[in-house]
Amino acid sequence: MLQSIRPKKRVIFAYLIVPTILFVYAVFVPLITALANSFYEWKGGPNKTFNGIANYKQLLSDSTFWLSFRHNLFLVAVCVIGQIGIAFILVLMINSRLVKLKGIHRTFGFFPSTVAAVSIGFIWTMVYDYNRGIINWFLGKIGRADLQQVWLNNEKWVMLFVAIPLVWQWIGYYMVIILSAISAIDTEIFEVAELDGANAVQRAIYIVLPLIKNTLLVCMTLCIAGNMKAFDNIYVMTSGGPGTASMVMAMYGYNVSFRNSDLGYGSTISVGIFIMSLLVIGGSQWIIGMLSKEKEA
Amino acid sequence: MAKKFEMTKVERNDLPTRIKKGVLGFFLNAILIIFSATCIFPLVWMFYSSLKEKRIFNADIIGLPKNPTISNYVNILTNKDYKLGVSMKNSLIITACSVALIVFFGFIVGYILARVRFKLNRIMYVMFLMGMLIPIHSLLVPIYLVFRNSNLNNHWYTLIIPYVAFGLPTAIFLVEGFVKGVPSALEEAAAIDGSSFSRTLFQIIMPICRPIMTTVAIINVFTCWNEFSFALVLLRDPSFRTVPLAMTQFTGQFSSDYPKIMAAMLLTMSPIVVLYFTCSKQIIKGMVAGAVKG
Repeated sequence: MLQSIRPKKRVIFAYLIVPTILFVYAVFVPLITALANSFYEWKGGPNKTFNGIANYKQLLSDSTFWLSFRHNLFLVAVCVIGQIGIAFILVLMINSRLVKLKGIHRTFGFFPSTVAAVSIGFIWTMVYDYNRGIINWFLGKIGRADLQQVWLNNEKWVMLFVAIPLVWQWIGYYMVIILSAISAIDTEIFEVAELDGANAVQRAIYIVLPLIKNTLLVCMTLCIAGNMKAFDNIYVMTSGGPGTASMVMAMYGYNVSFRNSDLGYGSTISVGIFIMSLLVIGGSQWIIGMLSKEKEA
Repeated sequence: MAKKFEMTKVERNDLPTRIKKGVLGFFLNAILIIFSATCIFPLVWMFYSSLKEKRIFNADIIGLPKNPTISNYVNILTNKDYKLGVSMKNSLIITACSVALIVFFGFIVGYILARVRFKLNRIMYVMFLMGMLIPIHSLLVPIYLVFRNSNLNNHWYTLIIPYVAFGLPTAIFLVEGFVKGVPSALEEAAAIDGSSFSRTLFQIIMPICRPIMTTVAIINVFTCWNEFSFALVLLRDPSFRTVPLAMTQFTGQFSSDYPKIMAAMLLTMSPIVVLYFTCSKQIIKGMVAGAVKG
């Protein structure tokens, strides 16, 4: 920071004022609005009555909200294991000297992550469709028509079925991130390990894994934050149904606020989403921090 | 010498090893090719299926079209009621404006926070950084209320405001980190030569920051074009709808006509698909850099 390039105060002010106002208006004002409205009973009309912490009491005992929260956690778990786990295995395979077409795998694999979640949702709705879906077509072809079903109506497994598109969409994304981390490692390390007689699995666990640990932790953070806000493809595929079998927090907040136009309680749910997401993201960061310290010790 | 001997030992080439390697190589390649194929298959499937008629598609969902027809495309493009063309225009305008503003403001704020000392510097830095931690989907309902109260919802420019606001934190963070790595001797020299702050900012620093600004632009082109939830709550008027919103409307209307839906999806996806496959290297690089550093 230099005295010689220090501009006048009003110049800095002029440069900063627009983005700051924009940012505060779209992020902080809504946060405060949500907090303020969360103490009111308000169905969206002119009548707005203060009811203290009644909304929060309702939220604490709202089984649908907590079910949605558990669904978000389920998505996080499936996606951390599915996306990052499969991505890591694919990376190990792609790094083998025996593999060809590496550039194509990278380009094609990354592609789904650039497509809108809404489109991914439509594509998979078509894949899961009962009459014209690919899965049922395939089951018919292999003579297992008995397994055909209306996939997204299966209350018990619907969460898994909506998680699969998410996993599929982001594998390539994490694969490319991990690949770029590995390509930064000095190749001599691998050669030396190979000379020392380490096999592929040993190399993966004892050499690659520790060296790209930080990248993996970044991936996990992205993955956790991404799945706490799952909304688009759930909205398209099931709208949280059947019943509430695939409800996630953002979807529930949307339903209460806009479909039931209960804006007071909807605001309370928004605050709930805010707190629970921060807790999960912050908590996972804390655990990740502890784990990485432990390993270093 | 010893090393050379060791190397030859590793690269053994007797018959059993070659067979083992061949089998392994076959499986590795096969698995990866299957993976890549599943990633691209929906695009291919949608493309050739969109050339079928509904009746033919329903009879055989997977086969190639025997009499390819572009009637679905003609139908979509000529029927004004679907508002798909309008939605693409809306998405294009909103994405272009948002990305331009994110890059522009991100550059200025990032630079100032990195280089200029003033009282509120750290406070502002923390404030923008918080934007990266705040779970923005919890703003879905309240942002609707705020925009409705200030009458900013339901205009052609409505979505630009939240998109810029949500894109700024990462942009500022990336630019700030980049500028810190640039030696300040340049600015000193410019100042000695009598260049004003603004001139130095735009004529000297901006060209240097081009790589990081490209990264910021790439990330945000995709997020803005694909964004759905905020568009859903902030827009009511069909003529302002963006592509994802128009698509949910369209599929709701023609839920049984898959080829038509596929044609519509391909049309609305086409800008992003073309962009991706023409400069995939640059895009992948930018997205990865943004993800890891952000």
